[in-house]
Amino acid sequence: MEANGSQPVSGGSVAIADASDLAVQIRHLNYYFGQGELRKQALFDISLDFPRGQIAIITGPSGSGKTTFLSLIGALRTLHEGSLKVMGRELVGMSNSQLVEVRRGIGFIFQAHNLFESLTASQNVEMAVELMGGFGSKRAQAIAVLKQLGLENRVDYKPNSLSGGQKQRVAIARALVNQPQLILADEPTAALDKQSGRDVVNLMQQLAREQQCTILMVTHDNRILDVADRIINLVDGHLESDTSMKEFVTAHDPKNLDPRMFML
Amino acid sequence: MSFLKHTPLAWLNLTHDRRRLLTSLGGVAFAVLLIFMFNGFKNALYDSQVQLLQLLNADIIIINTQKNNMFVPEPFARRRLYQARAFDGVEDAYPLYINTANWKNAETRTTRPIRVLAFNPQDSVLRIPEVQSQVSKLQAPETVLVDLQSRPELGPITPGVETELGDRRVRVVGNYSLGTDFASGNGNLIMSDQNYLRYFSQVNPEDEERDLSTADIGLVKVAEGADAERIAATLSENLPKDVKVLTLEGFVQQEFTYWQENTNIGFVFSLLTAMAFIVGVILVYQILYTDVSDHWAEYATLKAMGYRNFFLLGVVLQEATILSLLGFIPGFCISVLLYNATADATGLLMRMTVDRALSTLVATFVMCLISGAIAVRKVQATDPAEVFG
Repeated sequence: MEANGSQPVSGGSVAIADASDLAVQIRHLNYYFGQGELRKQALFDISLDFPRGQIAIITGPSGSGKTTFLSLIGALRTLHEGSLKVMGRELVGMSNSQLVEVRRGIGFIFQAHNLFESLTASQNVEMAVELMGGFGSKRAQAIAVLKQLGLENRVDYKPNSLSGGQKQRVAIARALVNQPQLILADEPTAALDKQSGRDVVNLMQQLAREQQCTILMVTHDNRILDVADRIINLVDGHLESDTSMKEFVTAHDPKNLDPRMFML
Repeated sequence: MSFLKHTPLAWLNLTHDRRRLLTSLGGVAFAVLLIFMFNGFKNALYDSQVQLLQLLNADIIIINTQKNNMFVPEPFARRRLYQARAFDGVEDAYPLYINTANWKNAETRTTRPIRVLAFNPQDSVLRIPEVQSQVSKLQAPETVLVDLQSRPELGPITPGVETELGDRRVRVVGNYSLGTDFASGNGNLIMSDQNYLRYFSQVNPEDEERDLSTADIGLVKVAEGADAERIAATLSENLPKDVKVLTLEGFVQQEFTYWQENTNIGFVFSLLTAMAFIVGVILVYQILYTDVSDHWAEYATLKAMGYRNFFLLGVVLQEATILSLLGFIPGFCISVLLYNATADATGLLMRMTVDRALSTLVATFVMCLISGAIAVRKVQATDPAEVFG
């Protein structure tokens, strides 16, 4: 299945929903790096809808613009062309300070855990709670979410005394503690071994179900594709394909050899 | 106070790595120490010049019009003091004689110039208790009190030592503590006016003869409750113009101003202090910059989460403040020790006053803030979008 981006697609088995049910709505989005002669287009006319509660995996070769795409949805860059609505708020034309406001409603998970070595697991999570002003309850909230992620015995440990998987789970706890409606994850399993990676995505899947939050994940990790409701493939800044999990598996069935599988 | 409820990120980041914290504090303390020492030397040079003057037991000072600093040896006629006594409100007026003589080291037999202060033992000229209690001993011929803080080149100066002063026998009968200055040479001797006559009325033909008809400094005491400034003005108006009348503060200030305006002491030490300050700024900047660049991804993540630049500026400035306060304490303590050591070694007046400590604390704080302000630009430039990928 091919989608050239001019048609809005919500993909897979999920029916096209009305705008209020959409976590993210993208129309004719273009993005450029650089200025003047050095200006280079990174994304070309992308149109996509992500309904609430959906888990979407964005794949593509290096340099295909998938990370840029994620950072735009995360309100980390100022936008000029097209339309990009996150939780109903138009990001195109927003000022920096308004973008910061939007970011507070998004949970970010990065390839590296990016935890402060000087803070305990709980304090790292509390930093996120403080953003929303929950000073009185911050410790309780942090402990609750760490417990949910199976870290109740590691609450007061500093990152140095945690394993890679545990650190990434603390980072996830930090992203989840404010119960965001949208979670953006960039290669969350890249630094983890197979089992830890599996645990992490299972947790994310479970949370998406329980809290009806939308997860957009950039990954090269084929082992975790099965958690996705939908797989989006970007190539050179163009939307190459947008398929449901089932279709993706069929298309990539070894019996039906498709050269694209080697890009994953 | 939402400030206190925040996770103390600045404090925790600074204290996380103990070894680095100690190195950082060492750096700040060193800069503080440099500032203290250079300022200390500057102040010592100024303070030392006026310490004797501040101990004069007088409200008003009469000197030769040409004597605009203590190096000028011009005396004035002693009868001006008798004239001064006739004025209303003047209780007493007495002379202080100053001269320089060669002191022979009792051990090595080498001679060193030394300043001699002489006065009538009946007059309370110096407000030094040790001098006041021993002044009666000076009535014996050829006796002196020697300053304990004189240069060690003078040799033994304990009471009982006998040596030579200006080729004439002299006996030490006591000690006191004052300190040297530029004009005093190797130290200060105190003797009676009668002994002064013995040593200085018959000198070599090339030296100027002195007797008690001319004085170097005239000390005027005013009656209790009288206005010294007004009386000084009256005296100044009515006494002949070969003398200058100043209040004691005015006299001290004249000396101070002379050293400030006619020497490079101020400039040299202010320059050194400024350099120490800049070294401090660079050191602290280096510390803060390293913290920011080592935690670049974490700070960028905070920005991605929705923390504003303002918050991160706060973290860096808090770190700067903590460094300045924690670094100041050891810097101050070591400086106090070094002040004492320097004072012992040189006889210079290294004085640590509350004012000077506070102004250095403020300078340290400003130093760290400047570094913080430069390092902060690194945080502001942190692009949260770059944490992706």
